[in-house]
Parts: sequence; C-alpha cells; structure tokens
Amino acid sequence: MLSIKIGRFAYLAANWAVLIFLLLPIAIIFVFALNPTPYIEFPPVGVSLKWFDKFFASSQFMSALLLSLEVAALTTVAATVLGASAALGIARGNVPGSRAITAIMLSPLMLPAILTGLALFQTYVLMDVGRPLWGLVVGHCLVTVPYVVRTTLAVLHNFDLRLEEAARNLGASPQRTFFEITLPLIKPGVIAGGIFAFIVSFDQFPVSLFLVSPGQETLPITLFNYLKYDLDGTIGAASVVSILLAALVVIGLDRTVGLRSYVKL
Amino acid sequence: MSDHQTSLNRRQLLAAGAALGVGALAAPHVSRAQEAATLRITGWGGKWGQIMSSDLIPAFEKEYKCKVVTDTALPFLPKLQASPRSAPIYDVLHTNSNEQWAAVEMGLVEPKIDAKQVPNLADVYPYAVSDKIVGVSIFTSAIGLGMRTDKDYPAVTSWKDFWDARYSGARGGYVIPVNSLGQAFLTLCGALYGKGYTDLDAAYGALEKIKPIKLVDFTGAMEKMLLSSEVGICVIHDSGVYRYYDDKPPTTFVAPKEGVLALEQVLSITPGSKVKELANAYVNYMLSLPVQKKLAQSVWYSPTNKTVVLDEPYASRLLTTPEKVSSLIQVDWKWYNAHKDAIDSRVNRIFRG
Amino acid sequence: MSARIELSAVSKSYDGGARAVDAIDMTIEPGEFFSLLGPSGCGKTTTLRMIAGFETPTDGVIRVGGADITRVPAHKRDMGMVFQNYALFPHRTVRENVAFGLRMRGMARAAIARKVDEALAMVALTGFEDRRPGQLSGGQQQRVALARAIVIQPRVLLCDEPLGALDKKLRQSMQFELKQLQKTLGVTLVFVTHDQEEALAMSDRIAVLNGGKVEQVGTPVEIYDRPATRFVADFIGDTNLFRGEIVPAGAGVALKVSPELVLPLPAAPAASGLVSVALRPEKVRLAAGTDANAITPGTVESANFQGGHVLYRVALPGNRHLLVQSRNDGSGAPLPAGAPVSLSWAPADLVILKD
Repeated sequence: MLSIKIGRFAYLAANWAVLIFLLLPIAIIFVFALNPTPYIEFPPVGVSLKWFDKFFASSQFMSALLLSLEVAALTTVAATVLGASAALGIARGNVPGSRAITAIMLSPLMLPAILTGLALFQTYVLMDVGRPLWGLVVGHCLVTVPYVVRTTLAVLHNFDLRLEEAARNLGASPQRTFFEITLPLIKPGVIAGGIFAFIVSFDQFPVSLFLVSPGQETLPITLFNYLKYDLDGTIGAASVVSILLAALVVIGLDRTVGLRSYVKL
Repeated sequence: MSDHQTSLNRRQLLAAGAALGVGALAAPHVSRAQEAATLRITGWGGKWGQIMSSDLIPAFEKEYKCKVVTDTALPFLPKLQASPRSAPIYDVLHTNSNEQWAAVEMGLVEPKIDAKQVPNLADVYPYAVSDKIVGVSIFTSAIGLGMRTDKDYPAVTSWKDFWDARYSGARGGYVIPVNSLGQAFLTLCGALYGKGYTDLDAAYGALEKIKPIKLVDFTGAMEKMLLSSEVGICVIHDSGVYRYYDDKPPTTFVAPKEGVLALEQVLSITPGSKVKELANAYVNYMLSLPVQKKLAQSVWYSPTNKTVVLDEPYASRLLTTPEKVSSLIQVDWKWYNAHKDAIDSRVNRIFRG
Repeated sequence: MSARIELSAVSKSYDGGARAVDAIDMTIEPGEFFSLLGPSGCGKTTTLRMIAGFETPTDGVIRVGGADITRVPAHKRDMGMVFQNYALFPHRTVRENVAFGLRMRGMARAAIARKVDEALAMVALTGFEDRRPGQLSGGQQQRVALARAIVIQPRVLLCDEPLGALDKKLRQSMQFELKQLQKTLGVTLVFVTHDQEEALAMSDRIAVLNGGKVEQVGTPVEIYDRPATRFVADFIGDTNLFRGEIVPAGAGVALKVSPELVLPLPAAPAASGLVSVALRPEKVRLAAGTDANAITPGTVESANFQGGHVLYRVALPGNRHLLVQSRNDGSGAPLPAGAPVSLSWAPADLVILKD
C-alpha cells in the first residue's frame, strides 16, 4: 500500500519536473518581458508594460511580425497542399520507388536547415531573381512539407480503402469520393501537418537567415539582429507576443476545423 | 541539342517557372529591381540603424538620386561569399575590421579606398587608413575595462589589474572564437605578459589565470551583465558603457595606461560593384562632418574624421584628440585570421576546463 | 429492377502472376440469391470486386442486363454493395451514410429524406438517424450498411462476407432478415462467403470456387447431396471419402477400396480405373451387433454425443474408418467404444466424384 503511494508520488513528481523543465524558459521570457529593467533581474523589481509598448510602437518589429505571419500563412497553405498531395501520391499512386521518394521528401529535415537556406540563396543568385518573398516561402516549404507528408502518411496508413470503394459503389466519381470521403478522413493528419508547418515557418531562423531581403526581415531574424545591438525587454515582449500568436493560431485551427473530434494531438 | 543548350534551357525554365508560379508575389520586387541606380550596403541595426534609415540614408538618396538598400541581417560575409564576384549582392561592405580582413583575403572587397574618389579621406586620422585597415575605418570604439562604481573597488589604471585576485568570479569576458573583442583582448594578453601581440603562449597562460570568468558571446550581453552587476569588471568597448550615460548607472569606463584596443567600423567596396561611383560617394558621405558628428553623438562612437568637433559630454569622453587617438592599439587581423583555427581550439580547451 | 449477370471466360491475374480468377463462366439469374463459396484465396472476392468494378478483368466479359460493363467505372454501375466490416463513413451520421448514394444521384432533398426514412424503417433502425457509426453495435452497423446499399434501388446487390463479423446468434437472425429482404425487393444478390452453412441456408444457387476455378454450380441440395468433385464433397459438410478400383460385382459394379472392403455402386461410372466416392455420415444406418444383410460390419472407435445426434467413428475392415451420424432417438446412451456394429446405406447415396 505504502509502496504504491510512493510510486504514485514519484510518478507525479517526475511529471511535474518535466513540465517545469519545459515551461521554465517561457516563464523566464515572461519575467524578462514584464521587468522594467533592460536586463533580467531576480527577483523582479516590478511589473511594466513598457517593452510591449516599445515592441508595438516599433515599425521595424511590426513589419517583421506582419511579414512573419504572411510568410507563415503562405507557407502553411502551400506546404499543406504540396505535402498532402505528395503523401497521397506516395501512399496511393502505385509509384515505383515510393520509399525512395518518401526518403527524399523527408530529407530536408535531416539536412542542417542553414545549408538549405544557403543552397537556396545561391540558387536564387544564379537564377538572378534576387531574394523575393516567394523565395523565402519556397525555403520554408522545403522544411515544412516533410511534416505534412509525415502526418498525412500516418493517417493514410490507417485508412480503410473500402470506404472509398463504398463511395464509388454508391455513385461518387473519383473526384467526389476524394472531397466527400478521403479528404475529410485524412484531414486531421493534414491539419496537424499544417499546424506544424505554421509553427516551423513562424519560428524559422536558419532557413530565413540567407533568404530574407534587406528591409524585409521576419520576426526571428529581426529579433536576432536586435539582440546584437539592443539586448533589452523588447526581445522578451516580442517572444511573448509570438508565443501567444502561435498558440492562438493553433487553438483557432483546432476550433474551426475540429481537430479534437478525430485525433488526440 | 548540345549539353550547353540543355543546361541553359533548364535554367531559363527554372527561373520562368518559379517566376510564373508566384508571379503575384514577385511583382513588386521585380519593379524595384528595375530602378536605375541602387546602392546595396550592409549596416548595423539598433540605434545606428534607426538614425541611418530615418535620417542619413534618405538624405543621401535625395542628394544622389539613388536608392539605397541596407541589409542589416547578419551574417554578411557568407552572403557576399555565396554571390558571384562579378555581381556581388553588396556594393559597400560595413563590418568590423576582422571581418574585412577575412573578406579581402577571399577577394570579396577591394583592399583600399581610392583617395581621389573620396575627398574626405584626406581628413581622417592616419590609423583609419593604416596598413592594419582594409578600406577605411569610419568610426572606432575603444576597448578597455568596464567597472562597477558601487563595489568599493580601488582605482584601476592598468590592464593587469584585471588579473587581481579580488575580481575572481566578478570578471566578464568573451567567447573568443565568436567575438572580436575577445580576440583583440587575447592579442593584448600576449603583449602584457609576453614578447608581444603575437606571443600566443603568453596569452594562453594569461587567460588560464583569469579563470573563473563569465563569458558571453554578444557584446550587448556584456553591457547588461555590467548594468545588472552580474560582473564587477569586464572587457568592454567605451560606447557599450557610455550609451547608458543618460540613465546614470553606477558604471564607468576605464582606459588603461597601456592603451585601448581599437574596435573599428570599416567600409570597403566590392570589386564587382556596378555602381562604384555611388559606392565611393557613400563612403565619402559617411566621412563627412555632419554624418560623423550625428552618428558619434548618437551611438558614442569616436569619429575618424579629425576635423569633427563634438559637443559635451561626447568630446571629453571619446577619442577626439591626436593624443587620445595615439593610445589606440590596432589588432593585426590578417595575422589573427591566419591563426584563428589554432587559437579557437586552444582557447576552447582553456575555458572548458 | 433486377438484372441478369453473365460472366464469360473472366480471368484476373496480378502483375502477370498466377491467375486469381481463371476463366470463369457463370450466369446469375435475375432475382436470384447467388453465393460464391470457397476457402480464402479461391477467387470469390476478386470475382465480386470485378462485378462491382473495383477490379478490371484481365480477360473475359461481364454483362449485366445484357450490357457489357467490363470497362464501366464502378460509380456508373448502379449496384449496391455491403462490405465486410461494413465500410460505413465514420465522419457521417447514419442518415448521411444512407443518403449518400441518393445525393450522388442528384435526388431532391425531400425525396432523399423520405427514402432514407423508408430504408431505415426496413432495417428497423428508425430513431438512429443522427448517430455516428462508431456509436452503433455491430448488428446495427450491418443494418445501416444494408440500408445504404438498398436505398439506391440497385439492379444488383453485392455482399462481401457481410455477416462474418457478427456473433453466431446475430448472424443467424441476420441471415434470415437478409434473405427476406432480398425476396421482398426481388433484387439479384451476389453473396460471397467462406461459410458453407451460411451459403446452404440462404442461397438459391451456389458456385463453389477453388483455385480461381468454378468447381460446381447448383442449388444447395445439389451441392450437398450430389457434389460433383472431391473438393466440393470435402469442403461442404462432413463426408466420408473412399478411393478405389471399379470391379464387377454380380450384375452390377462395386468399388474395391481394399481386399477386405468392397462397396456396391449404384451404376457403372463413366470413368474406369481408380475413382473417388463420397458418403455423407447421416446417410449411414448404424445398428448394434452383426447383421449379414448390412453392407459392412464395423467396430465403434469413439462416440461423440452432440445433442440431436451422435457422431460415431467406426473402424472398418481393411484399416478404414467411417464417420456415422446417428439420430438421437431417445434409446439411451451411445454405444461404447469396441461395440460391434453393422452399417448399411442405399447404394445411391454413394456419390461418384470427379477428381
């Protein structure tokens, strides 16, 4: 009896330890963002929103935030369509060498992202297209498509093909079958991949490093450069805002497309 | 069809396809790129960047009827390196001196600025165009010792006071492989305790003796550590202390009697630049009196144009006289870069233990 | 509303490998309950999937109502299908599942609602309209699948082991219901099963398949009582198989299984030499003691009491064995092992088989 209690206590303690370990950095960022001094002071000397004021008043940060959201949104849409199509092709297409294709699709995850960014940068330079916004989106797609492929393949793996046959049998054309049956059923995997894509793009640093163009920098890049010259609570405020924004998008996607009814994330 | 044609077609196709696929997104950038004269430069962010973008760059653009595109997103050198020499992505490179030396070794920038094209070059202190400098140094910070004034420390006059046992655990230094202040400091150690600035063994020995020491990679982080009293004494550049002048924190900058290390802001021009004239005009502009004064009094950098007259409190604190300028120690970055790999691995071992 | 299905020389092989279905000829009459019966891998499901349009035959022609549909895509075949494990759309309610086929046919909403109500009433699921498949029992899901298939009033209803996932009691009642429904609707129904009892109980006719070929097509009685091949005799029900040489015996012929065991045959078979014969256990009369008029004597080896009858394993002369199913007539305990018995049957019950 006692040993069960001790075991249970140890289990709970371990859980809490992991949770605290994961959340502590975020807590520190909140402290940093709310602390009036331009450096982290412990215990905090007060609560102030001045860094948030500075963040929201800075046109540099605001345009970076908007650009990050824009790039993340475009990346999410593109990566979701591309990744889901690729996964469907791999799982269904009877493509020869589909295993090799899967490996290639997932390979950007194995390559250091900074090399992906550098390689794309050089490609664009050779193509003489400069560093356009779409180039940044393409770079982000490279590192986000694998997530969508993965999550979509996972749901396709458990997909009962007879459901599609049943729809065909009931008179649904292949296109209708896809939109009425296949897509709704693989949606949880596709959406989960899309959420990954959004977060990975929104937080993306190494790929963006070479691909942002002057005056058009994403929030992580702006933060990194700001850090070099003005290390103050604005960094914390920006981090808090981007954490909350990312959380908001995830919750929003979850609510609107009803992730919860199909899968446990 | 020959191989040559195939590859050409493929490249064209690639460009066309990419452009078509996202035509709507690309459109504004294409039209911008087509404007006549564009000067592409690198630049700092922070306060410097604000003044440049709000004030000094627009004025330059107006005067020269051109467009200036400033890349403030690091890293500059790899980006320049990855672009073709004949069509570099920057016309003017602004970095610290150590990176300029790396750039010139790779042939990415021209070693000297042509005095005929840049009249203001005649007014700079000799050190700003010395053989330790690629291009021209437009501003310089003095690297010395930052101190807390609320710790009852005795007056510090020499670099060697940094090794005083009383500061054990209260010292702040840099991760030498990634920070040029740390690198400059290392060469100084060789001179303080050995035969000269290239006496690495003496430098390593000296570094061993300043442990324990708190190391940071960003200079900005050192400023915060000094402000928050996490360190009591540290290697720091004068502007990193003086920029908080208005807040009156209990900190001060000490210029040791052996001299201060020079942290130069250097401009150089890329050989492949298509707008050389504009690039020279920009360098000249940055050395002009109003620009030098404006920036010096905004970010506490010492101007290299010797004819600049600064107001107080800047004039008495920055390197504004030939006497003060003569206390500058310039690092031989060409030598340092050649030895960097060996130094890095040795230094890593020293501070890992 | 129902249609004839004709398969002529239909074959299917995958990637040039062995033929899963090998030149099958078959005609399924309108309104008929027709079963495809066989062990797994016999080609029955492949045959059904070719009729449904999920597989394209490598060779041969499939006609429905006289029209060649061999290359018509599945969604244009107008057939209902009930899948193994039902294949209900998990993200749709019962109503939406049943309405799906009607919606695809562009029917007006009001008409759809009425038809769905009717179909659900027919399978006794009124009141379950807004549930999701996951909230239903296996039997209920089965009924939804059935309602979904019949609501489109198909010419042909295809069923792929539809009752396989149900427990035995439920299966029996569903067998009965399905049969009733099929007769009421008058639809041609093709039923795939590996369960011979189910096939015998429900079908108008059965095709027994083995190795991609049709072994025999016939009514359940024909299939059971007059199996055409050794495979059919063995696959359907319990049976005793003997193999021997045809020898003259008095006026007629007999099968010499061994020197000690010679069984009289009803008529001279077409074949000569070695033949196989089948004898159903329940056709054998077993009497205690010896009887000179019996076809052969025997000794009880084991008796297996099964309630309505007793299954005996009897040792025959010449080291052969015979299964005998003896009705429980209330005369007391089964005969003990070692009891001498005499065995007899009508010679016509010996069925001569093709190998």
